[in-house]
Amino acid sequence: MNNTQRQRIEDCIEEFSQGKLTEEKLRQVLEDLSETGKKCQDLLYLQTSNTSLESSVHGMSIVEDGEIFAGPSDPNDWPYKTLLQAIRDGWRVIQFPNMALIMDESKTYGLGCEFILERLR
Amino acid sequence: MRIPDIEPTLTDTQVLEFCNQGYLMLEAVVPDEINSRVTEFIRENPYPSDDGGDFEDDKLLKEDWFVENVILNPHAAGAVRSLLGKNAALPTWMYNHQSQTPKPAQRWHRDGCSLFGSEVNHLQVFYYPQDTPVELGPTEVLPGSHFLFNLGKYMGHYGNISWSEYTAAPAGSIFVTVYSIWHRRSSCSAHGVRNMLKYLYWRMEPPQRDWIIEPDFDLDDLNDLENASYGDGAVRPAQEQLRNWHDVAEMFFWLSGKMEDFPAFLRTESWPMGHPPRKRPKDFHTFPGKR
Repeated sequence: MNNTQRQRIEDCIEEFSQGKLTEEKLRQVLEDLSETGKKCQDLLYLQTSNTSLESSVHGMSIVEDGEIFAGPSDPNDWPYKTLLQAIRDGWRVIQFPNMALIMDESKTYGLGCEFILERLR
Repeated sequence: MRIPDIEPTLTDTQVLEFCNQGYLMLEAVVPDEINSRVTEFIRENPYPSDDGGDFEDDKLLKEDWFVENVILNPHAAGAVRSLLGKNAALPTWMYNHQSQTPKPAQRWHRDGCSLFGSEVNHLQVFYYPQDTPVELGPTEVLPGSHFLFNLGKYMGHYGNISWSEYTAAPAGSIFVTVYSIWHRRSSCSAHGVRNMLKYLYWRMEPPQRDWIIEPDFDLDDLNDLENASYGDGAVRPAQEQLRNWHDVAEMFFWLSGKMEDFPAFLRTESWPMGHPPRKRPKDFHTFPGKR
């Protein structure tokens, strides 16, 4: 259940406790939750200095609720400083840095080690 | 048109720093009256596209006052003269990347025809005719990214990067970049016109160390670059340890027209060149049959 869904239920509880909850309101919430209940994949891209799960994150972007967000501009405000922190927050790694593509040790490819993580809500 | 016979303005140290960062900022070098005149000219000669349009036009390049004060600005042209040598060709086209309304950051990219490597055969130059604070979405650059191989089409998912820098600067600022540096328009939070003129200078002579020579400059002394490459907090965290040290030195040698001396500097023909660079034994990697 995501935050929006949880809030709709909390609103119903509040109205119920005040004696204001109606069948019409409940049916409306039921209909809305049926629509929003479709699971959407969140993605998290993290670029790190090395493949250790405790390596510092030096690049990020996130897809959450279908919206792309590059993250806060100040790295100090980024939600995760390491990959391990993201895993502990429920993110699942779906791709490790692909070493098969690193064909030449004299070149640096892209931003280094890139992990892709997902979360279904 | 070619750059006139002017003196170079960059020193050895500044050229090395350009190699390291991939760009050089020259703040407020164009006089205010010229900045105002450029802004007015753009207003009176609107381009065919509006906000956010990327369009090419050479009307300004046909204005003598613009060429004299911007294209041949002594600070900017002196830097170009230092890096591209004598007789460099002046810009043949110009883009105005105009922005007027709040908008998210552009995607990271390097411009088309970028070529990975140590050669600097043309320079990409940006000019702000108005004050361009962070709120107005200045160009964001990634220092050292000219040494990160990537294809533009594979950079679309990158978001914020910890060591990127904003080129927020006062009116009249010009910054000179290695063509292949990664960059993007940063997110813009304010209403207001941001004009950003972008153009290229072209090398027409072989590279040579024809800038201000510092008598005490010693390329062997790259301690700062070496020290910055250690640990998880390395200045260039995407690169292999010491790779930036190597790449910066290689570009400096190329610009100096001394690539034939680069293996002797490394004491090896290729990467890796031995670690630590400053403490290699004499004649390291010089035995017969060494690849």
